[in-house]
Amino acid sequence: MRTLTIISDTHPNLTASGAGARKSGGARGSGTVRIGIIGGGAITEGAHLPAVLSSPQVELTALCDVSASRLRYLRGRFGLGRIALRDYRDVVRRVDAVILALPNGLHAPVGVELLSQGIHVLCEKPLALTRHECEQLCQAARATSSILAVGFVTRFFPSTGLMKQLIESRFLGELQSFDAEFGTPGGWSPLSGYNLARATSGGGVLVVSGSHFLDRMIYLFGDIDVVSHVEDSRGGIEANCRTWFAATVDGRPLRGHLVLSKTHRLANRFRIVGARGTLEVGDGQTRSVTYLPSGSAVRHELTAVALPPGDAEPDYFQLQLHDFVHAIQTGAAPRVDGEQATRSVALTERCYAIATPLEEPWCEATLERLARAGPQPAPRAAAWRPPALATAT
Amino acid sequence: MTPQRPPRVLVTGATGFIGGRLCEVMALTGVFEPRPFVHSTGSAWRIARFPLDFASGDLCDGGSVDRAMVGCDAVVHLARGNRAVMRRGLENLLRAAVRHRVSRFVHISSIAVYGSQPPAASVSEAAPAKRSDSRYGNAKLEQEQRVLRYRRRHGLNVVILRPPNVWGPFGAFSVELVNAIRSHSAAIVDGGRNPCNLVYVDNLVEAIFLALWRPEAPGQVFFVTDREPVSWKRCITDHAALVEVDVPHVAEAQLVAPARERLWRDSLRALPEVITDVEFRRVITRIPLARRAMAFLSDWLPSLPGETEQAVRGWLRGRERVRRNGSSEGGYRADHPCIAAQRRAVAHSSDKARRLLGYTAPVSYDEGMRLTAAWLREARILDGLPLQKPEHQPAADANPPDEIENAKGPMIGVVPPPDE
Repeated sequence: MRTLTIISDTHPNLTASGAGARKSGGARGSGTVRIGIIGGGAITEGAHLPAVLSSPQVELTALCDVSASRLRYLRGRFGLGRIALRDYRDVVRRVDAVILALPNGLHAPVGVELLSQGIHVLCEKPLALTRHECEQLCQAARATSSILAVGFVTRFFPSTGLMKQLIESRFLGELQSFDAEFGTPGGWSPLSGYNLARATSGGGVLVVSGSHFLDRMIYLFGDIDVVSHVEDSRGGIEANCRTWFAATVDGRPLRGHLVLSKTHRLANRFRIVGARGTLEVGDGQTRSVTYLPSGSAVRHELTAVALPPGDAEPDYFQLQLHDFVHAIQTGAAPRVDGEQATRSVALTERCYAIATPLEEPWCEATLERLARAGPQPAPRAAAWRPPALATAT
Repeated sequence: MTPQRPPRVLVTGATGFIGGRLCEVMALTGVFEPRPFVHSTGSAWRIARFPLDFASGDLCDGGSVDRAMVGCDAVVHLARGNRAVMRRGLENLLRAAVRHRVSRFVHISSIAVYGSQPPAASVSEAAPAKRSDSRYGNAKLEQEQRVLRYRRRHGLNVVILRPPNVWGPFGAFSVELVNAIRSHSAAIVDGGRNPCNLVYVDNLVEAIFLALWRPEAPGQVFFVTDREPVSWKRCITDHAALVEVDVPHVAEAQLVAPARERLWRDSLRALPEVITDVEFRRVITRIPLARRAMAFLSDWLPSLPGETEQAVRGWLRGRERVRRNGSSEGGYRADHPCIAAQRRAVAHSSDKARRLLGYTAPVSYDEGMRLTAAWLREARILDGLPLQKPEHQPAADANPPDEIENAKGPMIGVVPPPDE
């Protein structure tokens, strides 16, 4: 972490309460929660700031980023007061809780420090780069009775809860398999570029896109194991991968398959196949689940009875924020807590540990001939090795 | 160049089709050490598979170009973008290359410098290129002139490569051809006898490698093509076989000439469909002036006498045209990229590159086709699943594109249709 300096003044309405006051229940109760956002990147601009600023349950009292120009831009765009800071350590005395939206590699070091001082943390996914780091975060939260929530926003989609209900009610009969695939050419461009290196991102498409699917699989089926994992990383981060899973549901084995790509489009859906038919949720299908009965040509769109039809799409990041606030105020567990998020990171680690190379004949076939066009005898072509486990920065 | 380590090469346009493959081959063979110059990290997935020394920046920002050049032995310039990127971006790059005394500057130009109908003399590079009907070609020609100026004035060791249709895995050529075949807008014209003018991406990579170090290269312009000439008939038939579609044969005389655009009439005729689009109305009515104009229009038309209203509606709709077999308005349009490209008879030759650089074009058409087909399958493009958005080459690595990129048009045929 670079040395950071404060560039702005304190918030005029700040109280003098510090970490000690908060630990004894400063934020608990029905008042607004003073919240800070650490990391002013694209997700903060597009999702967290709008959610926080339009919420009556929180007051934004700090916004922190190492880039002064980025802070100026965000202050101007959202009409923020003098709450901009460049040193996350200065956030502590101004907030009850923070949203941690830093590059993945900084989640653990910054999160542990804040949790240790009694600051509640809503951390963007993935919780950290390794299971060990996740455990450090959970331990820090437990030690100070702070809330550690993790930003798996897809858990707040009604379709996710409905799928869980349908599985638990054995709507499909005996489950036979599950599969998911998600692929888009390129996409999300983190401003800091942390996504280009394994050391700062923790991995490639499996972390960026796959972590949501891993989290949902664990939520739906409990403990799952990785059977095999193939990917196209060559020492950097993978852009394509395929993973096969095994789970046990109702005492019976269940197999699953996940395909992810950052170079081409895929069907972009999550599907569960049972004896009576298939449940499917497509990309962007937040409110309903599609049911395709076996042997039938019809499709049914299922929604929860409690969900009013035609309601406007809610701000899911704000639902996530309010779940975090509720946990802070009541001491209840957030919808996705540190322990749950640790399981998806552990699964990611397992994938990388057993990774084998994806076959890419178009990549390899001509290399020897092309090497001859170099200025001197080429060194031996770099052999592919399984990616090293991500380590803390 | 230091013999102890592979020469370090700054690659602009590194996130694109050619740049991505170039960095990949450099990293895997170890022949050169690529430093990809990246503008948007979200499009760098293909090359981020390697632990490379990325330089993040904007070609129009001289400071970021200068920083990226530190420690580089050579440059391969593949990026393109809007007018500023094509001019100021290239100028920044050339200036930094001179300042940092790089040993070689390889500029990837295009056959498009000869316009949409290359002259018969353009069999070889000796044919002079001049301003043409192609906006993209003109921009590339202007770039070539700028690059050669740096050779004359500063002694920079520049090399210019002019590839025709670059094809291969991750490229738009085969994706667009498959799309055109599947949508029945492709046809084989006059027996498809004209040459396709292809260069498989790995063959272009070989030429770039050679241009980076061969002493004969500086100051020269080279065509880079595949070893054997391939006819459009063969190329289209091979792609059609991948999607199991029969492509019809048509005579040039049967092609439907593109309708001449009439600015006012065509704009007014397009208007009703646009303004009744729900999504468009939702957005445009945020503008108070537009809201009032829309309200006026929706009140005005029904207020006309019945026959007048019908006549206005009829004029706005124009004549009903029925599409046959998915093709354009009852025939195959002469200006469809896949059709227009078949009307070029000249076969560009890379003899000069063979002679001076030792260029071998090591990948045959058949092997290239096998590898491309394998990738098209892997990328689900042959499955009928949602198609991948083709990645246009050279990479748009700098600013968002504007009129130059738009003018470039589809990748098939390289040379875009004439400016409007």
